[in-house]
Amino acid sequence: MSLIAEFPPNFVHADRIDDHDPPPAWLVALVKRARGLLLPVLLAGLWHWASTIDASTAYAFVPLDQIGDRLLLLLSSGELAVNAGSSLGRALTGLALGGLSGIVLGSLMAGFPMVERLFGPLLQAFRQVPLLGWLPLVGLWLGSGEGAKQLLVAVAAFHPLLLNSYEGFAQAEKKHLEVGRVLMLSRWRTFRFILLPTALPSILTGIGQALAFAWISTIGVELLFGTGAGLGSLMHTAQMAGDMGVVVLCVVAIGLMGYGLNLILSLVRARLLRWRVTG
Amino acid sequence: MPSILHRRLLPLVVPGLILAAWIGATSGEGAPLQVLVPPSAVIDGFNELLSSGELADHLRASLWRLLTGFAIGASLGLGFGILLARSALVAAYTGPFFQAVRQVPSIAFLPMLILLLGVDEGFKLAIVAKAAFFPVALATHDGVKGISKGWLEVAAIYRLSPVRVLLRLILPATVPPVLTGLRLGLTRAWIVLVAAELMAAENGIGQMMEMGRQMFRIDTVMVGVALTGLIGFALDQGFRLAERRLVRWKTA
Repeated sequence: MSLIAEFPPNFVHADRIDDHDPPPAWLVALVKRARGLLLPVLLAGLWHWASTIDASTAYAFVPLDQIGDRLLLLLSSGELAVNAGSSLGRALTGLALGGLSGIVLGSLMAGFPMVERLFGPLLQAFRQVPLLGWLPLVGLWLGSGEGAKQLLVAVAAFHPLLLNSYEGFAQAEKKHLEVGRVLMLSRWRTFRFILLPTALPSILTGIGQALAFAWISTIGVELLFGTGAGLGSLMHTAQMAGDMGVVVLCVVAIGLMGYGLNLILSLVRARLLRWRVTG
Repeated sequence: MPSILHRRLLPLVVPGLILAAWIGATSGEGAPLQVLVPPSAVIDGFNELLSSGELADHLRASLWRLLTGFAIGASLGLGFGILLARSALVAAYTGPFFQAVRQVPSIAFLPMLILLLGVDEGFKLAIVAKAAFFPVALATHDGVKGISKGWLEVAAIYRLSPVRVLLRLILPATVPPVLTGLRLGLTRAWIVLVAAELMAAENGIGQMMEMGRQMFRIDTVMVGVALTGLIGFALDQGFRLAERRLVRWKTA
């Protein structure tokens, strides 16, 4: 690279005969970006080709235009919106319920060693079981209705926030707490002005993880219970009916919504932590 | 002295209370057997599954799927991660698609894979491989990208062949991040496998639990829950141990 830079540009390009102007920068940028589209387009083409071989492959690889028809149908009937809304609500409710309990317990465990000793090892043991591993047990106890689903999603959001808020609150610096004592801050003010700002970055990290876990678990419990509304249940029904078009659309919707949630959260996070950059 | 007692005994208080409540709820005219069985019944159930060889069969099926699928997914992830980091061309053509697919949780691919591959072994291996592929590929990519430019320049000056650069520089330098990626991939693969077995399987820990649920055998379900947790824990800890041993040179 550095070698080339030492020669004048016309020397390097001397072997090129064409005297045309170089393509405009925007076109180069566009083509560069479009390279990433080649693979998905190619795969879609292969998919469509597979659908035309014979009836047995067309069962799994549905023609693309049929997926398009399904999309229009799901959109116009409002089915997609209803199910997506239901999943979103379940994930956010789980995040609120499980996340808040995680933050409260995490801060208590950081503040009072007694609480940590009482609950720490037990929670650590419970955390080892993959969330969906609880599903058969919860199914036996609570059935496969809304309560069971909401409980599992809340548990999924609980653990990351418990860990992160515990770590966040535990790392409050001694000297800051001493300043607080010198100023004779009340317990609430110590919490509000010393502990909370220290723990906030860690808690926000926890919210990010909890949101991701809540979203995955929402889809998981809907898919495995297969009852009620939700993108997971919609996908379950479609799988049973062998309707690949709807399954594909659900996968895309789940990915897009997960991405969107993450994006919103990182914007909120950047806003809440502005003081860290300026300070 | 009391403080040591405190530290040792306090963690036992809550589990002890739960156990006592459990025994209390199931003794005499307690909860119906479909809802809760006494702890002794769970132990009996475990012994029964163990002596009949049923548990061993389920375990063998699950672990075989886990290791085979993981081996496929992890080695593909390793290769792809290196390519993605070392070749601008590969990154330009496959990077965006890779990032897009990564946004979708593995579990959401289950119905699609069942429709494509049927409910036999194929879809379970595919989902385990998929779950392992992405964390490993990502960690490898980051690890290779993290190699100091100076080292690569030295290798270029010595005119090392690409194979030697790969074997002597890239692989050793990326061991720590790749190990972390492998651990993440293995634990995720386990979680997804349990879910896949809950959905459709002839055997395996997940299927054992699902059958237990359908037949209201709460003891079987509880044994399954405890085992999934133990296996996940053992996989994670085993890998952490290996990480510590393999990257000892780093701290030394």
